[in-house]
Amino acid sequence: MSLATKVYKSFESVVGPENISGDPAVLRSYMYQPFGNNKGVWADISPEAVLMPASTEEVVAIAKICNRHHIVFKAMSTGWGIHNLPGVEGAVLLDLRRMNRILEIDEKNMFAVVEPHVICMQLQVEAMKKGLNCHIIGAGSNTSVLASATSVVGYGPDGLSMGYSGRNLLGVEWVLPTGEVLKLGSLGADAGWFCGDGPGPSMRGIMRGWEGAWGGLGVFTKCAVKLFHWNGPSELEMKNAPPNYVLKEPIKFFRASLFSFPSLDQLAEAAYKLGESEIGYFICRLTPAFVGLQMTSGKNYVDLWQSGMMQQMLKYAFLFVIFANSEREFDYQQKVLAQVLEETGGQVSPISETKEMQEQTAITVLKVDAVVRSCFRSAGGFNTSFGAMDTVDLAINQIKAGAGLKEKYIKRGVIMDDGGDNSATLLFEQGHLAYTEVLIMYDHHDGESAQGALEYLAESNETCLKQGLGSPIFQISQVGTGKHGVFGPACFNYDTWLREIKKQLDPNNTCDPTAYISPDE
Amino acid sequence: MLLELNDYVGDMKRCARCSICKWPPLAQMKSWRFSQNCPSIARYNFHSYSGGGRMALGLALAEGILDDVTDELLNIVYRCTACGACDSSCKYNSELEVLWSIYSTRAHLVSMGNFLPEHLMIIESLRKEDNTMAQPKADRAKWAEGLNIRDLSQGGQAEVIYHAGCLYCYDPDLSSIARDAVTLLKQAGIDLGFMGSNETCCGSMAFQLGFQGDFIKFAESNIDDWNAAGAKRVVTSCACGFGIMKAVYPLLGKEMKFEVLHITQILDELIREGKLQLSKSIPARVTYHDPCNLGRNSEQYVPWRGVEKKLLGQFILREPEKVVHRGWEGVYEPPRDIIRRIPGIELVEMERIREYSWCCGAGSGVKLSMDDFALWTASERIKEAESVAAEAIVTACPWCERNFKDAIAQSGNHLMVYDVVELVKQAL
Repeated sequence: MSLATKVYKSFESVVGPENISGDPAVLRSYMYQPFGNNKGVWADISPEAVLMPASTEEVVAIAKICNRHHIVFKAMSTGWGIHNLPGVEGAVLLDLRRMNRILEIDEKNMFAVVEPHVICMQLQVEAMKKGLNCHIIGAGSNTSVLASATSVVGYGPDGLSMGYSGRNLLGVEWVLPTGEVLKLGSLGADAGWFCGDGPGPSMRGIMRGWEGAWGGLGVFTKCAVKLFHWNGPSELEMKNAPPNYVLKEPIKFFRASLFSFPSLDQLAEAAYKLGESEIGYFICRLTPAFVGLQMTSGKNYVDLWQSGMMQQMLKYAFLFVIFANSEREFDYQQKVLAQVLEETGGQVSPISETKEMQEQTAITVLKVDAVVRSCFRSAGGFNTSFGAMDTVDLAINQIKAGAGLKEKYIKRGVIMDDGGDNSATLLFEQGHLAYTEVLIMYDHHDGESAQGALEYLAESNETCLKQGLGSPIFQISQVGTGKHGVFGPACFNYDTWLREIKKQLDPNNTCDPTAYISPDE
Repeated sequence: MLLELNDYVGDMKRCARCSICKWPPLAQMKSWRFSQNCPSIARYNFHSYSGGGRMALGLALAEGILDDVTDELLNIVYRCTACGACDSSCKYNSELEVLWSIYSTRAHLVSMGNFLPEHLMIIESLRKEDNTMAQPKADRAKWAEGLNIRDLSQGGQAEVIYHAGCLYCYDPDLSSIARDAVTLLKQAGIDLGFMGSNETCCGSMAFQLGFQGDFIKFAESNIDDWNAAGAKRVVTSCACGFGIMKAVYPLLGKEMKFEVLHITQILDELIREGKLQLSKSIPARVTYHDPCNLGRNSEQYVPWRGVEKKLLGQFILREPEKVVHRGWEGVYEPPRDIIRRIPGIELVEMERIREYSWCCGAGSGVKLSMDDFALWTASERIKEAESVAAEAIVTACPWCERNFKDAIAQSGNHLMVYDVVELVKQAL
């Protein structure tokens, strides 16, 4: 099915001829989506056209045309992953790349107002000029600030001190699937952007809840996010050659170290204690494979892995970063950290004390710019499992379940041998919340490997359900619209609420439900 | 042949689609305003116009799943200056050959008979007149009249051969820079010659547009001529020529008995040796624009030919180990050194420099066939130069200079444009 000429012309009159395309080459380039794809790199379904609106008004006009002509639409920002594409035939894709402005940085009230295509790194460099910093999600600073705040998960390792994207969301401008504009929080009361929950309507739960609607509930065209105090220089200057850029000058009162523990339970105890003590800038459980792949590649990595050195040094380890406002606070945080380590049997891993690692780690921590190295570079294919946010204890149980489950797939040789326990565990808001993603690397062009990865993901989802480990985060392609239907009955039938929300806000089911929920059972 | 699309399928199908190719290396980003690295995606916005988008289309062509070669496909493939910024950014995290995938896609399309008519005109000029400028071959040496430089086309040998390049030979606004270069080299006592009206194009445009047969013909002929002339060094003022001679000529397997240098390298050397003394003050605040083909695209390219082995289950090990070209080995310091040595000059850096420099917009035939895109790209760089309060933008490539001058003339801007050679000449 292709778009009727009349409809195409209607869209064209909204965005202009330069900003719409139904050309097969353009559409094919959008169909390349390896992450989350069940097989290979190509999506099965092509959008009928790609539209690039430049304003809220244009998004509204597009949504209204879609409702009038019963055309499904789906919006994307930076577009990393197959969940960004419409999952139904005959749909149009809205690439929000032209909506890319930082509209405001309110220094005094510590927030920024952004459009959908502002990436975390753009916001961070502008915020730092004003003594502020922003939360960056674990996927990297190449991702949209708005997308993770309004629509998709939003976790990152600086969440220890800066929360997670869903929590940092303030005022929102939302184009509903029908084309109506809804303004949330203080914005809804014409009181500015400073608050997400009033005065004015608070619909945080309906709009995104825990993990967001993945583009299934309209288009978020502007939002405000919290910014945080930044005590470092206004610009971070680099030195050295790529890929090993490091800071030209070390940052004062900043220290990043890897700590290892005798057991996972002791690591968990340390995480709780560090959270309770309210210290730290960044925490991330890092595994031998993840660290090794940050450091090196190719034969050097294989040799490093086979030497067993990383596994020995970093079996149960996390990276903990202190970034203080003064020397006195820096000393205090270091003392607290030392005490926690003493109480929990934690030790500084010698690998993190070298000058090179200190320098490299500082950049990775501050810029979150090297995720592709550890996740996609080694085998090409990458996916993640588990990931519900709850307590540190649950996060540890997610690690144990995931590592155990992966073993047989590693033995079969269908996923990369990363030791099994290759997971990222993060703490948020001073340890009140935590979660674990269990990572897998595989060759998505190798049929057996791709099939093995799918089987693992299906089994991990089942394990989440059976063992009460929460709803997994990135399983759109595996369980699709059925995900909430599977997990809902185990969680107070939340899926019935989601369906009702979808029906009420999208009566014509115009906004692609594939990655969210179908209004019907 | 040098460019076979199938050789790059392994790279194209392992793109993570992370969009890092659309930005400078993230750690080097300094502001929202100058946070783009790729002129093509910045101007046209569709994902297709990025390094990742072009890799996807190259893969689709290689796999035979893109049936029609539409005009828009040709636009996507050719509205790109082949500046290589996508490639450098990608290699911050991965080891994928983005730029060579783009070159190979073009070569594949050309082999199927698909190219832009404007490009065929360039190639026909090359075939007929040995230059890309649609100018008579017989006029090629006119720029050098009165310089008393040894014309090696008449026989004889020289230690150093000066290769001016097509644009310097035929653009009357720019040929004085080639004359200055020769004057400076002679003044420093260099045993210098040139190929006179037998000088031909370096072939870089043919290579970048995918006409690799034509490229090979010109490259081999140049190597033969320069070897025959007994040159120990070939010096060029054209950054595009330098880039192709350094990065691609060695892949032809012909012995090159000479070293290739850009004019800024040899001038820097001569200044350091005291053979040229910069004594006159030029009081100005200037910024330096890195030409892509003098910088990141001038690293000698080593194509990977080997086998992929699976270790640790699914870890893909390339044997032999791949040589990764990250653009760091380009010529960045010599032009800056020269500028810094000129009395009175203050050199200020723009945000996007060296291996993550923003392109001037002229490369890969764009200036000759899509001037609107070339001028838009240049205007972005001019704004960046203005943002550091520079009075002049200094560069070391005729295509950059031509394009900046045109963009400035179009906008009514007062920024001055200089070649490094011009500044050296003024400062003597």
